[in-house]
Formats: sequence, structure tokens, C-alpha cells
Amino acid sequence: MSPMLIPTLSHVLIALAMPVLLPGLVNRTKSLWAGRKGPGLLQPLWDLLRLLHKRPVYSAVTTPLFRAGPWVVLAGSVLAAMIAPILGQLAPLQFSHDFIFFAYTLGLARLFLMLSALDVGSSFEGMGAAREASFTSYIEPALFLLIGSALIAGGGSSFAELIGGLQRSDAFVWLALPAVLVLFVLLQAEAARVPVDDPLTHLELTMIHEVMILDHSGPELAVMQYAAGLKMTIYAGLIAALLNPFDVATAPLAAVPAALLIMALVAVAVGCVESLTARLRMRLVPRYLMLASLLAALCLGSAGWLVRSL
Amino acid sequence: MIQLIWAVLVLLLGAGLCLTPLGNRTRAGIGVASQLLATALVWYTLAPVLFGGATVRGELAWSYPVGTLRIELDALGAFFLAWAMPMTLLGSVYALGYMRPLFDSTRHLGVHYALLNLTSLSFVLVYTAQHALVFLLGWEIAALAAWLLVIWDFTNQKVRFAGFNYLVSTHLGLIFLVAAFMILYAHSASWDLAQFGRWLQDNTGSERDLVFLLLVASFGLKSAFFPFHSWLPRAHAAAPAHVSALMSGVIHKAGLYALVRFVFLIGRPDEWMGWFLIGFSALSALVGALYTVGQRDLKRLLGYSSTENVGIAGIGFGVGCLGLSWNQPALVALGFAGGLMHLLNHAFFKCQLFYAAGAVYQASHTVDMERLGGLGRLMPWTALSFLLGGVAISALPPLNGFTSEFVIYSALFNSAAIGVWAKVALCAAGALLAFVGAVSALSITRAFGVVFLGTARDASVHAPGEVSRWMLLPMGLHGVGVVVLGVAPVLGFMLVQRPTAIALALLPASRVDVLQPIADTLGRVGLISAALALVIALLWWLRARVPLTAATQRPTWGCGYTAPNTRMQYTGSGFSWDFSARFRGVLLMLQRQKAPAGYFPSDSYVVTDCVDAVERRVFSVVANGDASAKTWSSWLREDDPRIAFGVALVAIVAIAGLVVLSTGALP
Repeated sequence: MSPMLIPTLSHVLIALAMPVLLPGLVNRTKSLWAGRKGPGLLQPLWDLLRLLHKRPVYSAVTTPLFRAGPWVVLAGSVLAAMIAPILGQLAPLQFSHDFIFFAYTLGLARLFLMLSALDVGSSFEGMGAAREASFTSYIEPALFLLIGSALIAGGGSSFAELIGGLQRSDAFVWLALPAVLVLFVLLQAEAARVPVDDPLTHLELTMIHEVMILDHSGPELAVMQYAAGLKMTIYAGLIAALLNPFDVATAPLAAVPAALLIMALVAVAVGCVESLTARLRMRLVPRYLMLASLLAALCLGSAGWLVRSL
Repeated sequence: MIQLIWAVLVLLLGAGLCLTPLGNRTRAGIGVASQLLATALVWYTLAPVLFGGATVRGELAWSYPVGTLRIELDALGAFFLAWAMPMTLLGSVYALGYMRPLFDSTRHLGVHYALLNLTSLSFVLVYTAQHALVFLLGWEIAALAAWLLVIWDFTNQKVRFAGFNYLVSTHLGLIFLVAAFMILYAHSASWDLAQFGRWLQDNTGSERDLVFLLLVASFGLKSAFFPFHSWLPRAHAAAPAHVSALMSGVIHKAGLYALVRFVFLIGRPDEWMGWFLIGFSALSALVGALYTVGQRDLKRLLGYSSTENVGIAGIGFGVGCLGLSWNQPALVALGFAGGLMHLLNHAFFKCQLFYAAGAVYQASHTVDMERLGGLGRLMPWTALSFLLGGVAISALPPLNGFTSEFVIYSALFNSAAIGVWAKVALCAAGALLAFVGAVSALSITRAFGVVFLGTARDASVHAPGEVSRWMLLPMGLHGVGVVVLGVAPVLGFMLVQRPTAIALALLPASRVDVLQPIADTLGRVGLISAALALVIALLWWLRARVPLTAATQRPTWGCGYTAPNTRMQYTGSGFSWDFSARFRGVLLMLQRQKAPAGYFPSDSYVVTDCVDAVERRVFSVVANGDASAKTWSSWLREDDPRIAFGVALVAIVAIAGLVVLSTGALP
């Protein structure tokens, strides 16, 4: 039996289970802040199962693309989750410059999410797609700037190696906090959380992600919601990988619980932010996202400076 | 060698026969048949060269002052010819469908086909010439043929203006090219490109820098780099769809071919040349991408995206140049292989997108996004074709656009032993590329979503249904290319391997094979892309086969509003409004409106359009040149002592600076 089997298997299991658990944890945190007992941690799972048995309603103007869209989103997100090294310095799919594949697979998922939204010909869904398209372009450079900082600080060619290299480098103590902040904003933007987007709002004019899936129902809606949870898992996992003090290849029994713990803490942090702050006004969202990109650019510059001076 | 001459003769003969008084159908048939024959002849010669054979050489004696005409088909020329000729052939096939309504009219279609033949002929000349005059001849044939093809609809004044604009721009580029060739001829006393190269390799210094800048300006104009792009959106919007496709996908690649050729001739470029190319190209990629966001004319949008994509390829070539000057074989291989692959991939998906846009135009007689909508249900094949091209142009897996950008990204995020700040700069360029990718995904979502999805926005636009098979066939073949090169990027890499080896041969021999690792990684990328495509297809098929519960159809939910109509859909301008509002300096929006007035307003409208900032500023300087000079000079009052003292101070400092510069620091 290969020594990599256990970490790989646990990666796959965690990546597939967390999209249900993390939103549950966020909701639980929010209920506690609000003084309620709140739904159980597994409530998102029961919701998904209920949706799978519902009868879907398709809009009469849609093309076959509308029915294909959710599956592209699901396949793209799952593939991205297999490339992202959420347990630390290891991923099931790992090759030179796999981070480019990671970013662009998520891009494919996003493209089909937006196209499915536009397919129903509703002005609300068009509005959501337009916001998603422009907001994500402000944050898109951030991930690449972070990867550039890791490359300069530590070196390496694959995502997992870069994270390992950054952890071992002298610059890590200086870069860790800004990198985690940038990844946290990326999580908020990609998984549609407050302050970028509010998953619980009931006014279509203020939504981004939820308004794009207004006309999805039944199994398609379940798939879209699962994929949204998967994106949250990916970014929470990246934060966990960056902060994980154990190497999953040598000490899997310590690294896997540590990764789970950090991911849970990230979900609690998301819940706390959602309870304590309001969603930003729509025209301030781009500034918030650009600020994250700017912070990532600062990371890159300071990585260069630190390598020269340390 | 002899096959190339035969190919030229076949093309010329075909062009001649097209002009004779035959029926339009016969002329079109002759045009396509001669292109097919010439393509076969050229491929017979170039296939061995491209896959490892020796360079094909030939000489033709000519009288003084021209001298011996040397023809040489090496791997670089073979690579460009390998797809330029077949794609021109496919363009001619597309023209069979696009021009079908005119076959029985009195228009002379032979001229059109003769010009397409001449375009093919110019490729043979440009990509094989080693003699500067033959090169210029091919260059000029391509430019004039493209101009005449653009003004096919010459009765329209806008089309004539677009054609004239193109003609002037392309000849401005020719002036730079001729100037560079004059300097090179003066130094090498020869018309031979190899002799040019010898001088360029031996003489570093300001004169070589000047030649480099002249060449980049000329090739930048040919390939429509920013800020030399302003002719391009007009020309692409005015020309017939297949001409736009060929210009954008194939003809203008000659500029980048010449750029790479001269970089190879220079051998070991200076470091600043690499940085200059990266900066120039990154600017093109950025501005081109931003402009695609604002356009409402589908073909203008695609035209701007050419500026973006030549920029992306140019970034690759810039990294390759840096590798040459730093003696880093890995960077050379990644940079040039990525750039060349991107040119090939761009030719595939851009022609496909233009063909789909042409199909939209033929079916609905407009390419104005704000009037279209819901074409996906009427023209499913065209929609699929545009979607494939769109996913590819946004560089998304599993299609081919991703593979070449992957190689260029690998060049930017490299682990080579280079300076820290150089690495920081390259990573920043990588982040810029990510932004460009996101922006082009935005504009392609907008274009596809508005034109093909939803419902028709203007009741007066009727699309009768799918277009002719002659138009679907080239789209289909390009689509196959886009998919195959996406899931098997090693095929594309095989084509660029030999041209990249030419660049590697310029460096001192090294025992490390830098090409094999790229091929290995690309093989893995292809496998995962293929797996992704298969999984998506499987999921979709399973979902269609296994209905968990019965589905129902209802109107789109109106969020509580019960009487929505098709005019309430999001428009193209609406989609990009928020984004383009942040880039007002580049994206000039013009708004013309007539507000409703009176008790019973009958006629009111709002039209927004994104105009080219470069073109507008150039035109405003040309138009108001005298006036603006007068305004500026009126600020200077001759009786104001402050100005006199200030000017005198500047003059003294300048003179002192010149003295110090010429004599060295004073003792």
C-alpha cells in the first residue's frame, strides 16, 4: 500500500464532505450570535437531499446550456478541489504549475454559472451575472500575486510545493498574515459571503450569487449550492494549508486534524464576520476587492524585498 | 523547393482564371480548387521541415541591383505556412456560403476569389523569402489584397473609410519597415536577411537599438498592437466575415512572424529589448481586453480581442528574448513555444468566432448586440461554435486557448536562476495576465449571453434559422481543432518544437533538454482536460437519461412582476456598465439621446457606444491642431519676466548638462 494513499483518500473525503459541514458551521455560529439554538450542523445535507427529490421547473426560454451549466460548475469545482492542497503540502492531482489549472478550472465553472444565469433572459439574473463577472475580475490577480510571492520567497513549481516552500522560508512570518487576509477576502468573494454578498438577503436587487440561481430548482439547485460550498471549502482549505504546522506526507495523523481544525475556525470566522458586520454597499464592493488585490501586490513586493535583505 | 514555385504558379493561374468571364459559381470553384492544390503542394514541402527534416533552400539568379533571390523554408516559416494556407482555404470555403446570395447577381465574385488566392500567395513569399525585396513584395501584396477584400461593400461610405484607414495605417508601418531595411542595407551592402543578421549580431549599440524599435513599430502596426490598433476595429467591422477572420487570425500573424524572425537574426538581444517587448505586449493585452468590454458591435469586439491576444503572445516572445540575453534555455523554450502556440491557437478560435459572427450577420443582418438575443435556439450549431470559441478565447480548460496560456504562465512563474526583481516583475506580468483573462471572460460571457441566450430584444430582427452548410463546415473544422488542441496540447507543441529549437540553437550548447519537460507537463494537462471534458459530458448525459422526477416548463420567474417583456432583459451595455465605469480614461462612452418631449412623445431613444480613445485623440489633434497650439501659446505672454527668467534658467542648465556630458566631470 502506497504511503500516499491515506493522505490522498482523506483529502478526497474532506473535500467532498466539507461543502456540507462548513455552511452548517457558519449558520450555527450566526445563530449563536443571534441568541438562537440554530439548525444542526448537517442541515445543509438534508436540504440538498430534499432538493434532489424535488421536481425541477425549467424556464421556457432556456437552451440545453441551462441544463448542462450546473454539471460544468460541479465538475470544475470538484477538479479544482482535487488540485488545491487543502491538507498542506500534498494534493491528489499535483504537477508543475498546477495552480494555473486550478484558477482556470474555477474560471470555467464561473463562466457556466454566469451563462446559465443569462440563459433565462431575466433582468435580475443578468444583473447578478454582470456583478459576478466584474467583481471577480478585480480579485482575479490576487491569487496569482500570492503565488508569485510564494515563488519568490520559497520557490517550487506546484501549488503544494509553493506552500511548503513559503512555510519553510524566512519571510513566512512576515507574509503569513497578509496572505491569510487576502485568501479570506477571496473566500468571501468566491463563496458569496458577507461583506461581498449576503446569502440570506431576500431582495433580488442586492444579491450576486443567489440571484444567478433564481431559476434553478430541484437537483440543479442542489448541485449549484453544493458547488458554492465546495468553493468555500477550497479557500478555507488553502488558508488551512498555509497555517498547518504539520507536513501531511510525514505526519498525516497530526496534519489532517490540524487542517480540519483550521478550516472549522475559518468557518467560525466567516460566521462571526457575517454576524457582526453588514453587507457592503454595492458600489463599495469593488474597492474592497481591489484592496485585497493591492494587499497581494504588496505581498509580492515585500517578498522580493525580504528575500534580498534576509 | 520546386513545389513552392508550382504552388505560386497555381495560385496565380487560379487568380487569373477567376478574372475571366465565367459564371460566378465556376469562378468560386476555380478559386477553391486552386487553393486546395496549392495547399497540398506547400504541405508536401513543409511537412518534412516541420517534423525534423533539413531546411529547404533554393536560389534564383536575378539581374543587378536585385541580385540572387534566396528562398529558404526553415522550421519557423514552415510552422506559419502550415496553418496559414489551410485556414485561408477554409476561409474561401466559408465564402461559398457567405457570398451565396450574390452568386446569381451581377457582382463579379471572381475578384474576391482572386484576392483570396493572392493572400495565400503572399504567405508563401513572406514565410520563405530570404531576400528583403521579396519579403517586402509579399508584405505589400498581403496589405493591398487585404485592403481590397475589406472594401468589398464599397458602395457604403463607412466601409470605404474603414478601408482607407487600414490602407494608410499599413503603409505607415511599411515606412518604418523600409527605414529599418535601409539602415541594414547601408551596413551590410546586401539584400539578404542572413547578412542583415550578421550585422545585427556583431554591432550592438544605438543603431541596432534604433533598428529594433523601427521593426517593432512596423510589426506592431501590422499585428495591431496598442497604440497602433485604431484601424483594426473599423476594418474588422466593415469587412465580410471571412475576410475579418483571415485578417485577424492569419494575415496579421505575419507581423509576429517577422518579429520572431528578426529576434532570431539578432541572436542575443539586449536585456532591455525583452523588457520592452513584455511591457509593450502587456499594455496591448490589457487595453485590448478592456476595449472588448465596451463594444456593442460583435465584430468590433472580436477585433479588439485580436489586439489582446497578440499582446499575450508578445509577452511570451518577450520572455523568450530575456532568456536569450540571460542565457537561460528554459525561459527561451517556454517563452517562444508559448508565444508560437498561442498564435496557432488564436488562429483556430478567432476564425471560428468570426465565422459564427458572420453567420449571425447573414441570418439577422445585424451584429449589433443590443438588437439581438435568443439566437441559440434558432441557430444551435452557430451558437455551439461561438461557445467553443468563446471558452477557448477566455483561456479556459479543456479547450486550446488554455494550453498556450499555460505555457506562457509557466514562463512567467519560472524557477530559473534570475534576479529577484526580475522575478517580481515577471510575476506581476503574470497577475496582469490573470486580470486580462478575467476581463476577456467577462466580455465573452456578455457577447454570448446577450446574442445567443435569452430572447430577441428587437422584434424587427428576424433570423430564419441555421445558415448554409458551406459556412458550418469551416466552423466545425475549426471547432474540432479547438477541441483536439485542447485535450491533446502535445500536438500543438510538436508543431512549435522545431521553431523553438532554432532559438535554443542560438545559445551555447547545453546538455539539459528543456523541451521534454514542457511536453511532459502539457501531456498531463491534456489528460486532465480530457478527463474534465469527459466527466462533464457524462454527467450531462446521465442527467438527461435519468430524470429523478418529472420536469415542468414555466415562464422565467419575474421576481413578482407579472408582465415582463423582452425589452426588460439585461443589455450588453448594461452588463458592462459597472465595469467600464471604472475605466473611463480608456473606455470613452458616447451617449446620444433624444428625451421624450410633449404630451404625446412619439420618438425617443438612447444610444451608447464605446469609441476608440486613441483614434479620437489622434483625430482631435489633427482636426484642432492649429487651434490647440494657439490656445497653448496664448498662455505664454512675452512681457512676463517670470517666463523669460525661467526659460533662461532651463537653457543654462541644459547647456551646462551638455558640456558636462561631452567632456566628463569638470576638474
